[in-house]
Amino acid sequence: MRKYLLKRVFYMILTLFLVATITFFLMKLMPGTPFTNQQKMSAAQIAVVNKQYGLDKPIWQQYLSYMLNAAHGDFGTSFQFSNQSVSYLISSRIGASAQLGIQAIIFGVVLGIIVGSFAAINRNTWIDTLCTVLSIIGKSVPNFVLAVLLQYYIALKLNWLPVAGWNGFNYTILPTIALGVGPLAETARFVRTGMVDVLNSDYIELARAKGMSRFGIVYHHALRNSLTPLVTLIGPYTVALMTGSMVIENIFSIPGIGEQFVKSITTNDYPTIMGVTMLFSAGLVLVILLTDIVYGFIDPRIRLAGNEG
Amino acid sequence: MKLKKVAAAGSVVFLSALALAACGNKSADSSKQVFNFSETGELPGMDLSKATDTISFTNLANTMEGLYRIGKDSKIEPGVAKKTEVSNGGKTYTFYLRKSKWSNGDPVTAKDFVYSWRRTLDPKTASQYSYLFDGVQNANDIIEGKKAPDTLGIKAEGDYKLVVNLEKPIPYFKLLMGFPVFFPQNQKAVDKFGSKYATASDKLYYNGPFKMTGWTGSNLSWKLQKNNSYWDKKNVHLDSVNYQVNKSGNTRYNKYKQGSVDYITLETDQAKNLKNNADYHLMKESTLAYLEFNEQASNPTVKKALSNKKIRQALSMAINRDQYVKTSAFGSQAAPGIVPDGLAVRNGKDFNSNIKGTGVTSDAKEAKKLWKEGLAEIGEKKLTLNLLGDDNDAAKKSGDFMQSNWETTLPGLKVNVQNVPFKTRLARSSSGDFDVVLTLWGDDFADPISTLDLFTSDNSQNDGKWKNSEYDSLIKASKTTDANDPAKRWDDLQKAQKILLEDQAVAPIYQRRTPYLVKSKVKGLIINSVGVTYNFKNVQIK
Repeated sequence: MRKYLLKRVFYMILTLFLVATITFFLMKLMPGTPFTNQQKMSAAQIAVVNKQYGLDKPIWQQYLSYMLNAAHGDFGTSFQFSNQSVSYLISSRIGASAQLGIQAIIFGVVLGIIVGSFAAINRNTWIDTLCTVLSIIGKSVPNFVLAVLLQYYIALKLNWLPVAGWNGFNYTILPTIALGVGPLAETARFVRTGMVDVLNSDYIELARAKGMSRFGIVYHHALRNSLTPLVTLIGPYTVALMTGSMVIENIFSIPGIGEQFVKSITTNDYPTIMGVTMLFSAGLVLVILLTDIVYGFIDPRIRLAGNEG
Repeated sequence: MKLKKVAAAGSVVFLSALALAACGNKSADSSKQVFNFSETGELPGMDLSKATDTISFTNLANTMEGLYRIGKDSKIEPGVAKKTEVSNGGKTYTFYLRKSKWSNGDPVTAKDFVYSWRRTLDPKTASQYSYLFDGVQNANDIIEGKKAPDTLGIKAEGDYKLVVNLEKPIPYFKLLMGFPVFFPQNQKAVDKFGSKYATASDKLYYNGPFKMTGWTGSNLSWKLQKNNSYWDKKNVHLDSVNYQVNKSGNTRYNKYKQGSVDYITLETDQAKNLKNNADYHLMKESTLAYLEFNEQASNPTVKKALSNKKIRQALSMAINRDQYVKTSAFGSQAAPGIVPDGLAVRNGKDFNSNIKGTGVTSDAKEAKKLWKEGLAEIGEKKLTLNLLGDDNDAAKKSGDFMQSNWETTLPGLKVNVQNVPFKTRLARSSSGDFDVVLTLWGDDFADPISTLDLFTSDNSQNDGKWKNSEYDSLIKASKTTDANDPAKRWDDLQKAQKILLEDQAVAPIYQRRTPYLVKSKVKGLIINSVGVTYNFKNVQIK
């Protein structure tokens, strides 16, 4: 296990290094300067400012000094936000995005399991059909459409919740729902399929024959076994929430990281592009590793270090 | 058992939160004068040496004060200077300062101006607006690192007398003093906060009508609160301006309907539906869209064609501007000339009053005629042009519109529309890698020279490389021989614009206007088309 982990961590670092390198050079291929007022500055003025930021040096030199600083956790100063360090920009805004993402996953997965199991237990009845139809709708309606609808009806018309902003738990409810419905629908579909399979298997028959209660069967035998495939979904969910949150953060005026990323690219804000890319990549690689580890715990048939023995 | 508990707890928490939230709306204290203002993006910074965008400029101009303030219709109003003497043929300005205070209690002195200007021009600061100092003694040399910042033509004689020496008269110099890059800075704040200077509301000192609170450098809401140590506080009526950033147009409008904001800007589609709303207004901007024709294009046929006056005129006249602003740029107006309407007024007459019927006309029939003659002159039957523009929604619509106008009106013309990111467009414009490009230019200050300067033969913004010696000499005269004679200078500039339009050096398309909603209880909000957009100093809620 330890050997396996070390190997994985090494690959993670290698991946991040490659991502950083590729992003750096792709970024340098983008035309233009990171200066907002580029249009009005003369070539001589741009040259002076470039020199101040070390952008006049050969690309390989910029690359080396960037990588050295990044290795020390220094991502430089943003161009869009004067004097603001990229580390601060990220750390001050990641909280909202993370809270929203975690709430959305909890909301989606918990409700998804309930809905999915419910549908499986009542399979081939109208309840099952209803759940299936709902989860198909949930999956196919884009989250920003849902967000706009929730904002209009729940917040504006019914006045139950704030329209937008980030000022306490109330403000997180609508964005959480908007962001969580996708994972909810997906989870429900997975759980239902998995559980229907399990419920038809021989050992469930046996349990039933032994006189176990219906709930006991579902909870002890069916649910746990049908949850295994769900773990594989956590990776894709994380990606979906990272990208999905950009739009949701915009609609609900949430001070998160998503939009920052898009804006940093369109404005050639090199340090921010690198900082946010590295953060997203690190998050993703970490989630993939965790998923693999968790998988091993849940399903003893999967041994992480299969070739170890 | 655990799983069930988690599930149950989750749904209970969720539902009860929903129920609780429903009864949690507090009403604000109505006796206070509060203006709830919705902005469309974050505040990028409060370091006035480095600010580059209208959100920063608005926040700076309301929390800081320079020698003058910019009031209604871009007229100058008193600021820190209480008296100004101009001498030495318009090349020396002596400002006598009033006694006023920074928010930390320090007096605002002439030294704060000297310090601020030197800091801005110091190449180490890497200011992107330092070019506005062009004409102040040694400014250009300092920007390029050839001279030390302390050689700048500004000096403090005692605490309340400031003398500025210019290399040449700048007729609009007082107007510039209302622009944040010329404001004073408190050296103590810069030294004390170091690299964190102006990165949050408590990392700088204020001397304007308001003080900022609650801005962390990256959050989406903050306040401008009345500054009780401001010298003219009796004319400041608001207790606070509450800023909220709502990037989505839909969200802004929902908040406006709900009543939690008093001011929002609208997006094009919203504006079409709301144009009859009582709160609906149009904000004139000094931003103009125009086509530049590359007279040095790498393709020899294109070069020949675009250097031909009749072809340029035909291309310009073929565009139906009235229809264009109705369909593709709702709220905007057809371009009056190359200088925006309402930018400059003299003796009650707009700068554009002498150009009726010149150049910027839309006439398909005349366009066809000129097109044929033009093609005959260059000996061609067909022409293919690439039209370069930004890749945003507005620019894409513009491109499609012009393509269809051109291809239906002008026989033998084929147009390829190329939409690229803003930065790419700029890079390609300045390197001459285009045939025709749709450029947007926003002026910095309320004087026609802010636009007209762009088209002199040696200006780096003259991407199409249009050359006209008469135009060049008129612009030069306005800066030299006629600089101190407002009437003559005005005349020079008006003539210059006329020449440019008759020759159709560039084809002006539309002047941008932004539609907005403001509650009728908000009185005295000043919105200017140029420089600092909003002035909250005299706003009252009634």
